[in-house]
Amino acid sequence: MIWVWIALAPVFGGLVYGGERVLRARMQRRKGPPLLQPFYDMFKLLDKRTLIIHAPHALLAVAHFLILWFTVAAIFLGWNLIYIVFLHLFAQMMLVLAGYSVRSVYSHLGANRELLMLIAYEPILLLVAVGFYLCSGSFEISRILQGEGYLIQMPLLFAALAMIVPIKVKKSPFDVGEAHQEIVGGVEIEYSGIFYEFLYMSRFLEYLFIYSFVFVFGGTSAWLGAVLVAGVFFMVNLVDNATARVRPPQMIKLIYTIALPLAIVNLLWMLV
Amino acid sequence: MKFFTSFRKKSPWILHYNAGSCNGCDIEILAALGPKFDLERFGVINTGNPKQSDIFLVTGPVTYRSRERLVELYSQIPEPKVVVAVGSCTTTGGVFRGMYNVEDGIDRYIPVDVYVPGCASTPQLIIDALVSAVEILERKSKEIEKPFKLFGSITTIGHKLSRLSMAQRVDHDEN
Repeated sequence: MIWVWIALAPVFGGLVYGGERVLRARMQRRKGPPLLQPFYDMFKLLDKRTLIIHAPHALLAVAHFLILWFTVAAIFLGWNLIYIVFLHLFAQMMLVLAGYSVRSVYSHLGANRELLMLIAYEPILLLVAVGFYLCSGSFEISRILQGEGYLIQMPLLFAALAMIVPIKVKKSPFDVGEAHQEIVGGVEIEYSGIFYEFLYMSRFLEYLFIYSFVFVFGGTSAWLGAVLVAGVFFMVNLVDNATARVRPPQMIKLIYTIALPLAIVNLLWMLV
Repeated sequence: MKFFTSFRKKSPWILHYNAGSCNGCDIEILAALGPKFDLERFGVINTGNPKQSDIFLVTGPVTYRSRERLVELYSQIPEPKVVVAVGSCTTTGGVFRGMYNVEDGIDRYIPVDVYVPGCASTPQLIIDALVSAVEILERKSKEIEKPFKLFGSITTIGHKLSRLSMAQRVDHDEN
């Protein structure tokens, strides 16, 4: 049964992405695209002629997608949280390498920004994992999900995690990595056709990856987890519609002066 | 494949290029993309990246400085692709027709599928044009489409492209 969920992970993520586009459209008082729009886009991209810069560049996108899928599978199977964070780091490194492997300036700029984003959110993810360890005595997600009361013990860590969700799903104010027309998609710029589709699908998996961290805060009660995910999802889209993009150094400054101290204070409070 | 072809009309991603326009038509295009006219309900995304787009929206009478980029952007869009000329200037040259620094419309350089009249053309007309562009997009094959002319700094690339039969080589430039 769990394998079916793992196999359907990109489809599920696509539905989340489609739902998000509808939600954002409703927030702006417009009709918005249909719910299945991401799948229409994917099918259309399959039908386009593909232009490839060079083979490693194209294959790194596929590698990024596959490793990310493996990461999501590891989450579904309830593996070690630290392991999952570093697997995700590995997937991101594939993307950064792809960005540096072509001569496009925008691609390099996007790869630089991707690294800055990694620097911003990686410490928070690790500290959240440490927080779960201090609460439940294990890094295994399957063990963590048997415990309870995470939200009461680490509310500040939850706030820090909620701050980095926009970075991961590329939403304003922290959408510097993609930055629509500013750097034209960053590392995505040189991709087309079927290889762009892999990057497009890996975005769906990013949604599952980061929101499953939010879900774990629910512990045994899946309902609490679902409510937390829905709440963070709504808030992230609300903030996305209401704010403009910050510059990358400002993003780092915001995360390191607000989210990181929050996380550390929470950890110290748990230890004392 | 037949199955995937039917999805072309459901997600037309556009690339908007200003070939020396007065920004009148550009504002109308942005209005069509904005919340009031909401082109996104047809699945339209303004990608800004030629390699991922299907429909090429061009505004402006092609100025001398912009024509190289116009042809280059056109040849970077992977097939199937459709070109929409928005506004009087882009279709015929408009009030600038015959001027020394302006080409009379984009159809001297690239094949145009849909012409949109108006100075500036309205969002309703643009939406109408996109709907008919999508119908043309569905009928097109994946055959390589060539620009009519190559010149300037991209002639070197042009020679390469013409060897690969992706473009026609023009030896004498009548300008």
